[in-house]
Amino acid sequence: MPDRTICLCYRKIIDASSTRPWDKLVWDDSYAEFRLQAQNFNPENRYRSFGEILHYVPGAERLHFLVSGAVTGYVQQLNERMPDILNNLGRHFLRFERFQFELINSDLQDKSKHQVAINFVSTPLRWHDTVGQLLLVSEAAAVPAAGEMLTHLVQLQPFLSIYSIQTPEPHAPANAG
Amino acid sequence: MERKHFLKSLLLGAASTPVLLSACGKDTVSPTSGTSTTSGTTGTTGTTSGSGSCTVAPTETEGPFPTKTPASYVRSNITDGKTGYALTITITVNNSNASCAALAGALVDIWHCDAEGNYSEYGGTGMQATNYQSVHFLRGRQVTNAAGQVTFTSIFPGWYSGRATHIHVHVYSATGTSLKVTQIAFPEGSGTAVAAVNGYAKGLSGYTSNASDNVFSDGVALELATVTGSTLAGFQLAWALAVPA
Repeated sequence: MPDRTICLCYRKIIDASSTRPWDKLVWDDSYAEFRLQAQNFNPENRYRSFGEILHYVPGAERLHFLVSGAVTGYVQQLNERMPDILNNLGRHFLRFERFQFELINSDLQDKSKHQVAINFVSTPLRWHDTVGQLLLVSEAAAVPAAGEMLTHLVQLQPFLSIYSIQTPEPHAPANAG
Repeated sequence: MERKHFLKSLLLGAASTPVLLSACGKDTVSPTSGTSTTSGTTGTTGTTSGSGSCTVAPTETEGPFPTKTPASYVRSNITDGKTGYALTITITVNNSNASCAALAGALVDIWHCDAEGNYSEYGGTGMQATNYQSVHFLRGRQVTNAAGQVTFTSIFPGWYSGRATHIHVHVYSATGTSLKVTQIAFPEGSGTAVAAVNGYAKGLSGYTSNASDNVFSDGVALELATVTGSTLAGFQLAWALAVPA
């Protein structure tokens, strides 16, 4: 089978137990923005949890988008480098150009219930092989030098998934070798 | 299927907030080397995600070092590259609990549609034909000064079916408590800015007047802004409101 091109997705969960500086900034600021924006959908303070607001108020799913404005500055500070996911040498190696912010849970009166996720989608990778629990991949944009392609081994792990896959068309010469 | 079409179809159906720093299309991938790591984060992998698997620990120079960053809304110029006739929006907030004295330190959020009548919002609402997935264009937040004023640089809003030209406003206290959610209405008829802009590309055929608008039809005296200027020189909008603070 010819090599397939994939994008990996890492769903980074941030909640009250997050301790690293970047995570805490995202957690604090997304909670503050949630408390502001939720008032657009909860004028009489009838609901206190994000789940209730989402369930009862039409259009409240816009809160994902509205709160995301609080975290875009932090995502830009990552300089397109995907956090946390390492190759088997212990180095960060994935790049992302797209992300998707989501509110998971929150509570207007209990910050400890605030939980969000940022879904990072990697730039395209060529998936060459699978070695045990490890995927052998290379940058899809990379050009082999003298027939040699530099690769990474990345472990399958919770919250890491294959976001999209593209199989080369049979007549396409790319990736044939 | 072409990759960009595939991704587009995914994005159109997405339930939350995809943001394209740039497209993931096959033609726009920025080349990166296979061993591009010069800095990384400290800590262990997956501690916050409950990972139970055994993976290698990071073995890298520490970094990056995040800095406190305000929400992307906090800015005066909210155009984000959207084209249209320039519009300077000045809003004055007074305190109705203090003899209408200027209210300093209040947060003022505004948002409005672009020249075509579209908002920066993900997903289809059924009211809009175009989907904008990413940036928070034409949305801004400022804090009122000692005179109770905030100023935004933007473009003249377009219009969409069922609504007169308007700008959304949400005023919060300094501590973030909602004080007022309202909308700014525009004068209409011959000689007004709405007539001069003429609905941009789609004209004013089918336009909803203030009198027929279901938000403004109960009277626009308090919502109506003063709008001066021209398409050539740009427009200035001034509006004041009183909130109980």
